[in-house]
Amino acid sequence: MEKEVIINIENIAKIYRMGEEKVYALRNVSLNISKNEYVAIMGPSGSGKSTLMNILGCLDTPSFGKYLFTNQDVNEMTDNELAAIRNKEIGFVFQTFNLLPRSNALKNVELPLVYSGVKAARREEMAIKALEDVSLADRMLHRPNELSGGQRQRVAIARALITTPSIILADEPTGNLDSKTSIEIMKLFHDLWIKGNTIILVTHEEDIAKYAHRIIRLRDGLIESDKPNENPKTNFNV
Amino acid sequence: MKFAEIFEAVIIALNSIRANKMRSLLASLGVVIGISVVIIMGWVLTALDDVLAETFSMMGADAMTVSKWDWSGGKKWEEVMARKAITYQQAEKFCEKIKSAEVATPYISNGGTIKYKTNKIESMVSVSGTKSEYGLTSSGEVSQGRYFNKSEEHVSSNVVVIGHGINELLFPENDALGKTIKVNGYKFVVIGVIKKQGTAMMDFMDNQVFIPLGAYSGMFGISGRSFSIIVKAGSKEKMDEVRLETEGIMRSVRNIKPGAESDFSINESKTFEETFAKIQTYVWGVGIGMTSLSFLVGIIGIMNIMFVAVAERTKEIGIRKALGAPRRSIMVQFIVEATTLCVAGSILSLIFCSGLVFAVATIAPKYIPELSFLSPVMPLKLFIVATFVSVCVGLLAGLIPAYRAAKLDVVDSLRSD
Ligand SMILES: Nc1ncnc2c1ncn2[C@@H]1O[C@H](COP(=O)(O)OP(=O)(O)OP(=O)(O)O)[C@@H](O)[C@H]1O
Ligand SMILES: [Mg+2]
Repeated sequence: MEKEVIINIENIAKIYRMGEEKVYALRNVSLNISKNEYVAIMGPSGSGKSTLMNILGCLDTPSFGKYLFTNQDVNEMTDNELAAIRNKEIGFVFQTFNLLPRSNALKNVELPLVYSGVKAARREEMAIKALEDVSLADRMLHRPNELSGGQRQRVAIARALITTPSIILADEPTGNLDSKTSIEIMKLFHDLWIKGNTIILVTHEEDIAKYAHRIIRLRDGLIESDKPNENPKTNFNV
Repeated sequence: MKFAEIFEAVIIALNSIRANKMRSLLASLGVVIGISVVIIMGWVLTALDDVLAETFSMMGADAMTVSKWDWSGGKKWEEVMARKAITYQQAEKFCEKIKSAEVATPYISNGGTIKYKTNKIESMVSVSGTKSEYGLTSSGEVSQGRYFNKSEEHVSSNVVVIGHGINELLFPENDALGKTIKVNGYKFVVIGVIKKQGTAMMDFMDNQVFIPLGAYSGMFGISGRSFSIIVKAGSKEKMDEVRLETEGIMRSVRNIKPGAESDFSINESKTFEETFAKIQTYVWGVGIGMTSLSFLVGIIGIMNIMFVAVAERTKEIGIRKALGAPRRSIMVQFIVEATTLCVAGSILSLIFCSGLVFAVATIAPKYIPELSFLSPVMPLKLFIVATFVSVCVGLLAGLIPAYRAAKLDVVDSLRSD
């Protein structure tokens, strides 16, 4: 059965102007991603991975080309419509976690719900549940600087999942973590995938990419290869 | 915009003020000073306004004074000086002829000294020679005793009616009636005390004594001196009619040719009021000018600190936007933060000013009695104005920084540190 396509980009390019010079972060990229796919994006530093992720996550817009997100044209959307998509449809996980330093774990996880208009009491309830799901119920009231890297990333994942988005985007989620913690995080992604989520992650570690079911390799702003991983890893023992 | 959103923003704002106490205090200093200036100015000016209003209402809105002198300040000084004196005969003729007025009676004043036992007042005392009808005007209304009567007037009795201020100074026990005082060295018996007329601003009104015209004439002489005539219309409505007749009769009495300018003035408390209103407008104008200036400084201070806050929290803004914060929400947050800062500043100055106002109003009059018109409590309307103004300043000062924050690029702000 053909799965529903949720991401459809055609011939997109992203160009940065540095004075006279033009930097082609993405030259010409076309790509379809369907519901419940598990994709890893790989490539050398500067190949355009983050740029592509930011565009997919509606954090940024392409200079050229077409992007349909669940059949809606992203180029046509206003700033506030993009904000609503980021809020409800996309869960973003960053390499540097991007937690609010002055808020505790609970408040950090609640944050997206603030912007989707959920009442305070309900917000807290949901955030506690989300933190329980990443086994951090006992660290709820800790601030980010009182948590380990792995714990911070789990808070960030709980935050990404709180609005039950259909797609998780993770830009080097294990980039700042040791291998044991990395595998714990990969287990979380695996469980999400089992539950039906769509997962796209950027990594430069082959070991991490092996958990995905499809691997896209970028080089100099172009897709070098786009192959299914016939034999995805399911072993989460270190 | 939901209330919850603003409430949330206020909490965030309070936290960030708490995190940067010193900086917030310095930033809101301009606003604190601005609000303090507004409150203190407003306090003094409201008190002044009240005093003046009270004074004017006491002077009687239904009377006018015909005099060589002009109260309005609109006439040239030399011109007024050059006017011929209003003689007793002219004044009498006028009083006989006027029909529309309820009372019209001449009077004449001079500076004098007053003495009771060892208490002597030398400055600021005005001694007026009047007829008994003067007692029928609001300026001659007594609070104790009585005004002198026709027969006392005819025999030039040595009786005196003293002003409220004189009474307070000479007779702290309030037992003036029947006492003998010396006016310019001559003995007079106090038979009445005039009702309080003026207030702090106009206390000369209360530092007068009234004696029969004959007695006055004996002491000071009346030839060559200019008389005034107090004309009581009886009601506000009759003022225009009375003024018109007064003008006509006075001109004929003084033989002024048609078309020539009158060489006397018809003064009313209204003339006074107009002069004071002009001064009041200037004072308020200067006050508002000063206040605007300090608010400009206040706005710049807050705006500056908000730009700093936006720069410092660029990363946070990026995170919020990445998680779906709409532009409006970011704007609201920074505007609310600027406003919270201003309101906090205004609360600070309200506390400070309340203390100051109370202290000044209770201590200052002990040394400077003229300041007794100051009230130790601030009018409520000033609180409301101060709060309103500080909210406006906050909104204004927060607008541009908030707009800049809302327009920040998500990816760029996430990358910043
Ligand atoms: N804001 C920007 N202004 C100018 N050039 C940029 C900007 N953002 C990215 N680039 C350039 O675009 C190219 C792609 O950057 P990108 O961050 O997508 O690389 P990446 O594949 O994520 O690399 P890494 O593995 O190091 O994270 C790089 O050459 C980078 O210098
Ligand atoms: Mg990158």
